[in-house]
Amino acid sequence: MTQLLNAMHTCPACGLLCDDISSDAIARQQLGCGKAAKFYARSAKHPSAQINGRAVTLSEAVKAAASILTQSKSPLVAGSSTDVHGARALVDLSHATHASMTHLNASSTLRNMQVLQHRGWQTTTLTEVRNRADVILMIGTDVVSHNARFFERVVWVDEAMFTHASQRKIIYLGGDDLNTQPGVSPDGHAPEVIACAAAHLPEVVAVLRALVLDKPVTGTQVAGVAVSTLKALADTLKAAKYATLVWVSKDLHYAHAELTIEHITETVVALNQKSRAMGLSMGGSDGDTSVNYAHTWLNGVIIDQPDWESHDAVVWVNSYSPDAMPPAGAAPVIVLGASDSEFTTPPAVFIPVATPGLECDGQMFRVDGSVTLPLTAAKPGDLPSLRDVVNQILTTLEQGALA
Amino acid sequence: MITVLKNAKVVDPAHGKDGVVQDIYIRDGRIVARPSANEKIDEVFDLNGKIVMAGAIDMHSHIGGGKVNIARMLLPEYQEMRRMQEPEAHICGPNCSHHATPNTTDTGMRYIEMGYTAAFEPAILAVNARQAHMEMGDTPMIDKGGYAMLGNDDYLLRLLSQNADQKTINDYVAWTLHATQTIGIKVVNPGGISAFKFNERRQDLDQLHSYYNITPRRILQALSRAVNEVGIAKPLHVHCNNLGVAGNFQTTLDTMGASDGIPMHLTHIQFHSYGLEGDKKFSSAAANIAEAVNKNKHITVDVGQILFGQTVTASGDNMMQHLNAKVANPKKSVIMDIECDAGCGVVPFKYRDQNYVNALQWAIGLEIFLSVDDPWRIFLTTDHPNGAPFTSYPHLIRLLMDKTFRNEAFDKLNLDAQAMSNLKTLEREYSLYEIAIMTRAAPAKLIGLRDRGHLGEGAAADITVYTEQPDKEAMFATPDLVFKDGQLVVKEGKVVKVVWGATHTVKPAFDLAIERDIKQYFDRYHTMQMHNFKISNDQIAEDGRNHVINHTQG
Repeated sequence: MTQLLNAMHTCPACGLLCDDISSDAIARQQLGCGKAAKFYARSAKHPSAQINGRAVTLSEAVKAAASILTQSKSPLVAGSSTDVHGARALVDLSHATHASMTHLNASSTLRNMQVLQHRGWQTTTLTEVRNRADVILMIGTDVVSHNARFFERVVWVDEAMFTHASQRKIIYLGGDDLNTQPGVSPDGHAPEVIACAAAHLPEVVAVLRALVLDKPVTGTQVAGVAVSTLKALADTLKAAKYATLVWVSKDLHYAHAELTIEHITETVVALNQKSRAMGLSMGGSDGDTSVNYAHTWLNGVIIDQPDWESHDAVVWVNSYSPDAMPPAGAAPVIVLGASDSEFTTPPAVFIPVATPGLECDGQMFRVDGSVTLPLTAAKPGDLPSLRDVVNQILTTLEQGALA
Repeated sequence: MITVLKNAKVVDPAHGKDGVVQDIYIRDGRIVARPSANEKIDEVFDLNGKIVMAGAIDMHSHIGGGKVNIARMLLPEYQEMRRMQEPEAHICGPNCSHHATPNTTDTGMRYIEMGYTAAFEPAILAVNARQAHMEMGDTPMIDKGGYAMLGNDDYLLRLLSQNADQKTINDYVAWTLHATQTIGIKVVNPGGISAFKFNERRQDLDQLHSYYNITPRRILQALSRAVNEVGIAKPLHVHCNNLGVAGNFQTTLDTMGASDGIPMHLTHIQFHSYGLEGDKKFSSAAANIAEAVNKNKHITVDVGQILFGQTVTASGDNMMQHLNAKVANPKKSVIMDIECDAGCGVVPFKYRDQNYVNALQWAIGLEIFLSVDDPWRIFLTTDHPNGAPFTSYPHLIRLLMDKTFRNEAFDKLNLDAQAMSNLKTLEREYSLYEIAIMTRAAPAKLIGLRDRGHLGEGAAADITVYTEQPDKEAMFATPDLVFKDGQLVVKEGKVVKVVWGATHTVKPAFDLAIERDIKQYFDRYHTMQMHNFKISNDQIAEDGRNHVINHTQG
């Protein structure tokens, strides 16, 4: 019904969830972002279920999956690249099989969660940034590698309620191989770039936090960055009406990077004593926010880190990353996933399921966490949903338990 | 199929029944008149004079949505406790902290085990309504519903600052009820959440908003009138300015006058009843507040009682929670600005009976309960989880019904706090009939649930059966039987059948022309399209368990 009322789709290919994708643009393959183009160009490759690479009926595959799960002492639900409805189904499956549950992006998600659980944080959402932010500090990231339309949809907009969008100050602090071109304003004003390798961000951000707190900092340089530059940055942040400090957990992938994130979030806390600032965690994809959130309200706890060695069967869901597979050696693997999954070795069981937002409807959380958007099937197909398949497996397991 | 509950001692204030022994007949989920003699009775429960009430209704409990889920994430400390205990096997007392942030399944199970058959999420951020409904949809056993937050959203504040006419406000309010699938409207710290985004730290009732040049009083006038004129039952749900601040009782008294006599509900009033007396400049203003409530018949209140132990407070009031974060325990908090729509603040608290302020907060809540005369205008809440988890309701009921028990608890409090409270001079003990009013009949009437909260013919058969006993905490913690829509779902305090409840909404008529302007606002300023903001009935029912019950009101 939703499709008849509007021809606009929401793109789940990254955490930004752009909801202005017209059916027409999809049909003509004219999309403003590479991830969206790739997502909507996907087409079914394996229409039927498989056991060890051999085509079988759906019910045979369901039976085989149930049989593996019955024999498993400690299954793991992993990948979990799906939407909220898929996440609910996977939580049900994990309850029925006493499986642990994790996600493709567990390490980057949990890096943020460690900060949340240790100190909490003060954050904002995209519409606030769009209408208020006068200073945007990007720390260790260009965002656009993850969320290509961030500047188009949030920063360089035609109108903002409380600030002049085109006059925003954009500052990049550290990071490797950044694309800072999108940070150039529509009238050609270049962003400020304070270069340092991502690996040096821990000490650089720690010094920035100290400067914002007016703590004495000795020395003139930190990791090649002049302390005077950071002092000027601290002053800019303090003078801002609504400073926004942006990070992407995936771009901070070194040991104890959660401490860098905590320095960012605690810098925000320090700024908010006198002026206004907020943090903004970007990136996000494969439904990571949806799965972590649904897992939390259904179980009362966040998702887990995968521990591949201690599991003797893996249920793998890869709806948004058809090329993603569990580490080699994790066996046996049951893939409930993309019909265009790419296997080097065929899994024990493969059941193609509809990808929400491509082949079926769904609902998904945006990366900023407060907004959930409906997904509509851009290319409706005959594949069962993840929920359908999980229900069939659960029914088979129950029948097996009764037999 | 006909079920009969024989020899029920009925406490049903909606029909003035206080201990009338009668038989109750149930057919197809409804209470019906005695069937004719030739009709087959399928199931008989002889209750032998056990107390029978309608299922209880929690009119203010944070059970779903963004801030509740953040609260669940925030304290892994709770998770350690979870592993040591069996949450399914018992009902928690006030100190059983892991239940302050139950998952959705536990939320439904704990409620139904206490004989509650509905709970209303009082702070649904309009932009976050989809998430709130997902969580409520995953909450089994009970009916759900929610109040949408307005009054800090830039759309309304722009309307008011441009002197929009009342009809436009009314249309926007009605549109919001439709779009968010809610049954009431709430305002939290009117104007204050927005002002915080402009670096203001306090917003008083008659203080101009620094950007929009309107006062919270104006917001309250506009919204209370809109809610009244669109014709929904639930009065505007008001979380006053200056939450938790010593001396805030004057703001609360002034707020009662802000609607010019139009009904308003002031929520968790305990947190808004603080004076400035004494050495510590923090005192009880419960007497002033209760006197004003008694006098102002257009005002209803719920208490937001605190009980001692660990909890996590989750509020839309990020302005005041940002201040409260200084006393967080454990020391962490989440503060958010959200979508030019609202905000949230999640702050863990540990209420301690030896802490002067906490002890006095406990006493202030009870003083208000005991000093407001009319049980139809005061509601039993802990503002779950902010004052205490809802699982502590049986304990709270005993505090209200049992003066000796209450006074013994009082004697254990911080001595300075004892010296500042008149609680022991209050002799009142609530009756079963009054408890039934404040937990059944009155909330149903307030929210406009005509077929809930009572045991008359035509009512939904949401029924709770208790064994009367001197220990009222034990009585209300473990009902003998609970029926949800006519089905036996709880026996001796244990769930025997899982059911899924419904979501209650109200959808008053409005002029669709407003949607043109709202769409234009979305297109100009938002990061999502208006049609994605609106939630359909189908989406509420999407995973096949929940469904919408819309109420015609007015």
